[in-house]
Amino acid sequence: MIGVDRTLHFLVNVGSAGYHPAAWLDPALTPDAFIRLEHYQRVAAVAERGLLDGLLFPDIPVQQPSIARGPAATLDPVLLTSALAVSTERVGLIPTATSTLNLPYNLARRILSLDHVSGGRAGWNVVTTFEPNAARNFGIEHLPERDERYRRAGEYVELTKKLWDSWEDDALIGDQASARFADPDKVHAAQHRGEFFTVAGPLNVTRSPQGRPVLVQAGSSAQGKAFAAAHAEAIYATQFGLEPAVQFAGEIRAAAAALGRDPAQIRILPGLVPVIAGTTAEASAKFDTLQARLHPDSAPVRALARWLGYPDEDLALDAPVPERLLTLPENRIGPQGFFASLTRYAADTGHTVRQLLSEFLGGHRVVIGTPEQVADHIETWWRSGAVDGFTVIPAVLPSYLEDFVDHVVPILRSRGIFRADYTGQTLRSHLGLREPANSFVR
Amino acid sequence: MSRQVHLNVNILNSGVFGGSWRFPGTDPLAAFGLEHYIGIARKAEAARLDAIFLADGPAIREDLRYRPFNSLEPSVVLAAVAAATSAIGLIGTLSSTYNDPYDVARRFATLDQLSGGRSGWNVVTTAGKESARNFGFDDEPDHAVRYARAAEFVEAVRKLWNSWEPDALVGDKPTWRFADPDKIHSTDHHGPHFDVAGPLNVPRSPQGEPVVVQAGASTDGRALAARVGEVIFTAAQTEQEAAEYYRDVKARAVGYGRSAEGVVVLPGLSTVIGSTEAEAQRRRELLAELVPPEYALTRLAGQLGVPEDALVLDGPLPWHLLADADEAGGSQTFYKIAVGLAQRENLTVRQLLRRLGGGAGHRIVTGTPEQIADAILDWVDKGIADGFNLMPDVLPSGFDDFVDHVVPILQRRGRFRTEYESTTLRGHLGLAVPAHTVPGSGDAADRVVA
Repeated sequence: MIGVDRTLHFLVNVGSAGYHPAAWLDPALTPDAFIRLEHYQRVAAVAERGLLDGLLFPDIPVQQPSIARGPAATLDPVLLTSALAVSTERVGLIPTATSTLNLPYNLARRILSLDHVSGGRAGWNVVTTFEPNAARNFGIEHLPERDERYRRAGEYVELTKKLWDSWEDDALIGDQASARFADPDKVHAAQHRGEFFTVAGPLNVTRSPQGRPVLVQAGSSAQGKAFAAAHAEAIYATQFGLEPAVQFAGEIRAAAAALGRDPAQIRILPGLVPVIAGTTAEASAKFDTLQARLHPDSAPVRALARWLGYPDEDLALDAPVPERLLTLPENRIGPQGFFASLTRYAADTGHTVRQLLSEFLGGHRVVIGTPEQVADHIETWWRSGAVDGFTVIPAVLPSYLEDFVDHVVPILRSRGIFRADYTGQTLRSHLGLREPANSFVR
Repeated sequence: MSRQVHLNVNILNSGVFGGSWRFPGTDPLAAFGLEHYIGIARKAEAARLDAIFLADGPAIREDLRYRPFNSLEPSVVLAAVAAATSAIGLIGTLSSTYNDPYDVARRFATLDQLSGGRSGWNVVTTAGKESARNFGFDDEPDHAVRYARAAEFVEAVRKLWNSWEPDALVGDKPTWRFADPDKIHSTDHHGPHFDVAGPLNVPRSPQGEPVVVQAGASTDGRALAARVGEVIFTAAQTEQEAAEYYRDVKARAVGYGRSAEGVVVLPGLSTVIGSTEAEAQRRRELLAELVPPEYALTRLAGQLGVPEDALVLDGPLPWHLLADADEAGGSQTFYKIAVGLAQRENLTVRQLLRRLGGGAGHRIVTGTPEQIADAILDWVDKGIADGFNLMPDVLPSGFDDFVDHVVPILQRRGRFRTEYESTTLRGHLGLAVPAHTVPGSGDAADRVVA
């Protein structure tokens, strides 16, 4: 299935001070970095210097209690990315927005506006929001079950595509002499009536410079995978082991093909937390320093236990994860993809808890080593067909991204597997994705 | 010292007239690109204006065959403009009928962080079927319902803006204390229209809270403006209307326990500038000629709520079809202006269209820079306006003329700032920074604003 698009692709996950819970303790960062445009401008400039494909901004519309110990979701990512469009020229801008707590007309309009503001560099990371506290900010006491959330998300995305197609490319005329401003025959109302939404349209924003904004998706539960196969153009899913990653890619591409999609038009870009230094030992020490900055309550072993959904007393540092902990606890409402991927990795490798703690962070795979070692990891996975690249998740921003851009990217470039210059203007073009035809034009 | 004038520029696509996009030398599609907004904002900033202002509605209400319409979403545009400017205020319109309070509060709080405290939210209740149908409704909610919802919406938004105490962000690295949870307060808003748990996930604004802007001429609209509006945008055509509105809305504000100075009243002012009076008149005539006639007639019929064939160009308005303004649906502000104008001056449809000039129903002043400056100062000196919301005839050229020729006159007369004296929109407008109020300890929306 690979072979059409022979370059690596990289997104960057941009979460406040960095992905590591102790990132804000980095001496180079001021505490208010997470609400400072200048901080994000520095990050974006580094990514653009590295010719990376795009920046992905996670989000959830709620005040997370973890704010007591470090930055949490804060600025609206659509507005933040719009501000970043001004200080950048090429790098893609992908805000996260939930299909559960936004009205489709409004969100379709904001993302497409971002696309125009950035000259065709916008994507939308579609999430379905499982956090009850976020729902309560919108007057919703009970979130629908996962099945219904994804069914709703599916309808939402179909509707959004129709709204994005409201205007044919040449519908806007602007002929001053004849007083013809636009051609109503080339402007289409969605007239959508579905299970969840009724929206007339047309959208009041003209068609995207890249056809449509790029749809990104991260879920890897059964429902998430089905959704990805149907809609996602880039997939940001957790993968720990190579073999399951190959299997995941095969499943997604086959499911997409079964739905009539071109399986080569999906970019699989799992998260990767690179920790880079001149020697392996230095890189390990660097990660240890970061881990040692954590508050005792957030100690890595406790974080792992929390992710698994079990009390941390159940984990012993120098033993493998007990087998009974490798099954999904009942009533666990968090993301299932991470759980499945990590537990399979733990079972397959038999690694001790201590080893595992240097292999994952939050929900993603950590790779610690020299620039060559990190480049090797990336190339191995890419050549296996498991991935089209990675979503780089810097533990601390911007410094861990600088390490990647300044030391790993040049190696990949010298190996001829990453671009030496941007060849297009749009996110779609960076990702090697074709512009979709307008669904209203037969 | 004489009273200082406040000036916003309303970036209405290509200009306030239906034919602005056809004006010679104008890029007809400029309003669909970011550069248009950045260019005008930078010009406004160089002239030390208070703010740029973006109107909005979530639908195409204009007849797209004949003219531009609101397209790019205002909060997205303003975020980009924030990154390209350093002092100018940024006011955007967002509907209280087709949004959620948490989302609106968060977007303006975000804009305030990105801009260092320069944002303002123009609360509108959004008339019209076209918008309603984009949100699953057949028609707009009843006028009174829209305004009741708007009042509660603003109350909830302001509670959210008060989630974080000013010093809640601690950032003490040695003790791992990032923020003080005791200084981040739940909203727990429960009302007929909204339940919002909170807290908002954005720290308190550099200007305390974003500035609340309101327009509205109906009885409900005035009440809302007087209760929550810090900047009030009006459409007064005549001195008499302006005086009545100004006194009424300030008196109502005082009645709500607010200070008269905490309410900045800015009527809309469309400007047509020429280096001589004759040149300005010729420009005005050209603008009227450039309005596509089919467009003008269709639009007026829609705005008056009468069938198109009820309007005869050289006949009077169909008075038997026209309802009392407070009972009419749609935008009552425009309705009152148009009907009032026709009635006062006994105008035919053609004459009325010409007087409205394809404008948005705001006062149009045509003349030399001196005459425009005089017109501005006249109302401010009479105490019936605190300044104006400028609606240039053509964008950007008509605004360039204003900045290059009218602003220097106002500055020479000592009536308009030559340097910014503050870094926030609230500061430019002379509005006090509201004290932090813990949500639930008192109604944030009823709180006295300095």
